[in-house]
Amino acid sequence: MIELINLVKKFGALVAVNNVTLTVPRGEFFALLGPNAAGKTTTIKMIAGLMKPTSGSVRVSGYDVVQQPLEARRQLAYVPDFPFLYDKLTPWEFFRFIGQLFLMDSARIERVARDLCARFSLDPYLGNPIESLSHGTRQKVAIVSALLHEPSVFVLDEPMVGIDPQHARVLKDILKERSRAGTTVFISTHQLSVAEEMADRIGIMHEGRLIAVGTRDDLRRQSGTDGALEQTFLALTAQESAVDMQGVGQKFGL
Amino acid sequence: MLWLLVKVNLLQTWRRLLSVRQQSWLLTTVIAMFLAGYAALAFVLFYKGLKFAGSFPGLGHVLIERMMFLLFAFLFVLLLLSNMIVSYTSLFKNRETLFLLPLPVPIQTIFQWKFVESAILASWAFLFLVAPMVAAYGLTQQVPWHFYPATLLLILLAIVIPACGGAWCALLLARFLDRRSFQIGLLATAAMLIVVGAVWLKPVGVTDEELETRVLIVLDRLLGKTRFALFPFLPSYWVATGVQQWAEGALEDAAFYALVMASNALFFGTLALTLTGTAFYNAASVVQSRGSALGRWEWYQTWRKRRAVDARQHGPVDRLISVIPRLRPDKRALIVKDIRVFWRDTTQWGQTVVLFGLLAVYILNLRHFGAQLTSPFWSHVVSYLNLCACALNLATVTTRFVYPQFSLEGKRVWIVGMAPIGLPQVMITKFALTTVVSLCVTVGLMLLSGWMLKLEIEKLADLGLSAVVMTFTLNALAIGLGALYPNLKEDNPNRIVSGFGGTFCLVASFLYIVISIAILAASSPWGRGGRIDLSWVLGGRAVFLGLSCAVGLIPLRSGLRRLAKFEL
Repeated sequence: MIELINLVKKFGALVAVNNVTLTVPRGEFFALLGPNAAGKTTTIKMIAGLMKPTSGSVRVSGYDVVQQPLEARRQLAYVPDFPFLYDKLTPWEFFRFIGQLFLMDSARIERVARDLCARFSLDPYLGNPIESLSHGTRQKVAIVSALLHEPSVFVLDEPMVGIDPQHARVLKDILKERSRAGTTVFISTHQLSVAEEMADRIGIMHEGRLIAVGTRDDLRRQSGTDGALEQTFLALTAQESAVDMQGVGQKFGL
Repeated sequence: MLWLLVKVNLLQTWRRLLSVRQQSWLLTTVIAMFLAGYAALAFVLFYKGLKFAGSFPGLGHVLIERMMFLLFAFLFVLLLLSNMIVSYTSLFKNRETLFLLPLPVPIQTIFQWKFVESAILASWAFLFLVAPMVAAYGLTQQVPWHFYPATLLLILLAIVIPACGGAWCALLLARFLDRRSFQIGLLATAAMLIVVGAVWLKPVGVTDEELETRVLIVLDRLLGKTRFALFPFLPSYWVATGVQQWAEGALEDAAFYALVMASNALFFGTLALTLTGTAFYNAASVVQSRGSALGRWEWYQTWRKRRAVDARQHGPVDRLISVIPRLRPDKRALIVKDIRVFWRDTTQWGQTVVLFGLLAVYILNLRHFGAQLTSPFWSHVVSYLNLCACALNLATVTTRFVYPQFSLEGKRVWIVGMAPIGLPQVMITKFALTTVVSLCVTVGLMLLSGWMLKLEIEKLADLGLSAVVMTFTLNALAIGLGALYPNLKEDNPNRIVSGFGGTFCLVASFLYIVISIAILAASSPWGRGGRIDLSWVLGGRAVFLGLSCAVGLIPLRSGLRRLAKFEL
């Protein structure tokens, strides 16, 4: 479970995340959408513990990310949009390293990694240095390493970038399986089709605020549109921009 | 957990070492010869210098002692700066750190690993620089064998203190200064150091009578400006005293200083390894979410708002470059882009400021020599040494900043590659820009040094023209080799430079400078006691020009040909 409680993040005078409160229960697949600079990556970085909130708090599986960082991180897996990997290691050595960081025993590392590698067709590359792998293969290595310790919360920033359609399908299936098995999946994406197909609930951020949260139908009702998620998304963000402009106009007496 | 991080990084390092076998044997040989050559040359220079200083009856010991104190003091300052820069990069600009932060690794453990890694990276060069000096000192003082392991121990202890200081400075910088404040601070500090250096290093007047009758008093006055190195609370004082006491056989005193160092190293090391995690996390969070440190001031907010309004207007760089007549808009755009990218990366130009700032301090002090260099021979030698120092400095800068220019387009090379200007024109534009900027600096410094030395206008023109030719050549060499050996996968210029092309560029530049200076000095019209042999002078100049054309034009033309066929 992920809980964001009155979360605020300011960068100097700019409010990047503005009083966001959200609960993503255990086993839910949650997709966070929003235009560029809406505050999605900042929110994700705070969930991952890379950044401290200016105020408010983040709880992962009941653990406060700032107060109980180690407990929270043991429950969490995070894959950034451009993940870091140790270039001189082979994928298999990298998996073993990650497994050991999560205090997994060798047999369990081997069992889980073998299964995931087979699904992502990584077996031919397991003995090659990571630096020799293509961008998509490196992305698959990062995802496998994140799934290795069977996290209860899985946070991904633009996970489909660079992955071929065949393995994008595999990833979607795995995420759905994990979510059904109780893992909370939280993704940020610009690919509305992924959110539409996969997410139990969708959140839309705009200028640091969470302007809409709900199922596909909830959002449709809220936006007054009927059709693809794209129309709903555009309508909701346009409404919000109009409200903002009205506020500015009133402030200056226009 | 710390051991796991150490183990995985050791494995990476081992693989890197193994991959040396796959890289060009020429590169490996060149690097090995360069390192061995440096160590041998440094040893010989230190040995001869110490022997020479020791040959003054009654004074040799004092001179050597003071030189050791000074050398350790300056090396300590450099070590502190080096630790600060490396720690900042490892802690806040490193992808491994960002990867480790969301993992269940205690923050303190991440800091411990990064602290150890930074200390090793920042200090190995210190050991390499100090080793020939210590060996030469030991030989001249005829020390027993145990002097060498004892000195190694003292130096290892000494490394911990600047490592802690550097890491804490990096944390403070990250926590409290944004890029703009850092840039302003760096420029202000550099300017202040130049002024302080120029004022502090004034000559001391000594009469001939004093020199003959009251040598020790005069020497004490001459050494007065270096007394800061004897301040007993400086770690450099402890290590220098420890080394000297051990060499003289005063083992108890040396052990005392070793214990002082050990207690300080243990105290600060323990603080760093056990209590700095939270401060590191706070600073890392601030770096991730940096607002300006000046953001709380109203004038800054007003300025930012005005800048936001003016965002569509041309900036000062645009306006400056638009002054150049008949410059095509596409080339102007490239130049503006390169200047902006360079200016916004403080680590790039910060090093240039340090390099040329030190050279400027040296040249400003030549004004004191001007009056004393009455002998034309020494005036001649110093003016060519200046040209050599200036060119060597420029070679460091061209290898470090100009060579990686094309590679730094990196994954974005398609942007300029797809533009209807063509990669060869991109390269020529970069060459023109870097050459013009370098010319302003090198010719300016050469003219300043000539003025300080009160050289005649003909000599000044000769040196200035030589500096112009060398600037063109060194830039052409660096740009050409950069295009011949591109590394488009790497964003870090340090790594680009450390490849074969970068090493080759540095070695070729140094060889070119040494040979050119030798030719210029040997064929100088002022160097043979006023006897001018016109054919000798012209011959020397022609060889210099021919060499410069060969060293500059061949790589430049080869690079252009390569880029004309470059596949994106």
